Amino acid sequence: MDSASHQSCFDCLLRPDRLFCDLPTHALEAFDSIKCLVHYPRGSLLFEEGQTARGIFVLCEGRVKLSVCSETGKRLTLRIASPGEVLGTSACLAGRQYEVTAESLDSAKVAVVRRKDLLKFLKNHSEACMQIVHLLSQDLHIAYERVRSLGLGRTRRVRIH
Amino acid sequence: MLSPYGLDIIESCLTCKMRADRIFCDLNTAALQAFETIKYATAYPKGAVLFVEGQSPRGIFVLCKGRVKLSICATDGKTLILKIAEPGEVLGLSATVSGKPYELTAETIDPCQVNFVKREDFLRFLRDHSDACFKVAEQLSDKYNNACHEVRSLGLSHSAGEKLAKLLLEWSSRNGESVKVEPRLKLALTHEEIAQMIGTSRETVTRLFADLKKRQIVQSKGSTLVIRNKAALKALATNS
Repeated sequence: MDSASHQSCFDCLLRPDRLFCDLPTHALEAFDSIKCLVHYPRGSLLFEEGQTARGIFVLCEGRVKLSVCSETGKRLTLRIASPGEVLGTSACLAGRQYEVTAESLDSAKVAVVRRKDLLKFLKNHSEACMQIVHLLSQDLHIAYERVRSLGLGRTRRVRIH
Repeated sequence: MLSPYGLDIIESCLTCKMRADRIFCDLNTAALQAFETIKYATAYPKGAVLFVEGQSPRGIFVLCKGRVKLSICATDGKTLILKIAEPGEVLGLSATVSGKPYELTAETIDPCQVNFVKREDFLRFLRDHSDACFKVAEQLSDKYNNACHEVRSLGLSHSAGEKLAKLLLEWSSRNGESVKVEPRLKLALTHEEIAQMIGTSRETVTRLFADLKKRQIVQSKGSTLVIRNKAALKALATNS
């Protein structure tokens, strides 16, 4: 990682390309004031499945693996999240436990926003709320694709008991 | 208005008694009045298809009364039921927001009342009413949670028995039955439909039920199922 670590979202050059980050000025100012920039070394856990949701994680740099786990400890990778994605949104909004585990695959830079601040932010900035709705819809599309390939894919045919 | 299919149609959301209990519908007055002008209250008989996966999205369907089966289908006709939607749920939401084709097929299993809202109207409504937008985000979160649950059970369960045990435990945890020693649940689905929920064959479900009954873990009384041995069912759900 070089010194490209932008402290403020206003200095971020990548912002216009990212669905969530491309917010109007006043919303971005508000977001800047509630976010907290955290560096995670490779292989660290951002959050774990089953933990009560503390906040959302906006991925600025690095990739993050999202997986689910069975009671016996078997793990299934859901997908790899790339920069610009917002993680933990659904659990955070619903006030539930995280439904997946997020582990960094690279050294990652993440903007963390606490749940309480996020809820207030979304209520005050409808543009941001609309972005979140879009992102959630995308997540849902991917999840349904995964359900389809797991539930109806050809691999299941072999596993007849 | 006459009541088609024996349904009592709720004409106006403003006077709906159930509204306060429903996540999406409990909007502020301004938003509710705006919603009232863009929605179409419609009634569907049992077995009607609201939308089919792959269709480009026309709009959302707010389920007021009745239940709807949400499923995905493979090209060879194999079906997987993701969820039975209950009143209060908004269907076709993510496709309508993103403009991508519907991911699921929605088919009524009771006579249903559905409030339909066209896509353009709905998107405009969301932009104008942040309150509604927030509720949509909550609904989507719920759906995402459910989808992750489904991925976990499909991808990580070992056997059909394990999945059936999980399903029965989940159903029995509703309506405050879970605190009882012997929870009861109404089996509203056929063996075929249960098979489609857990991704197995109808024959397997019938065999599994027979086995559970033989081992005195469950007992059926008409369409009601009594869980006699919750501990054993939980053991089945967690390993095997």
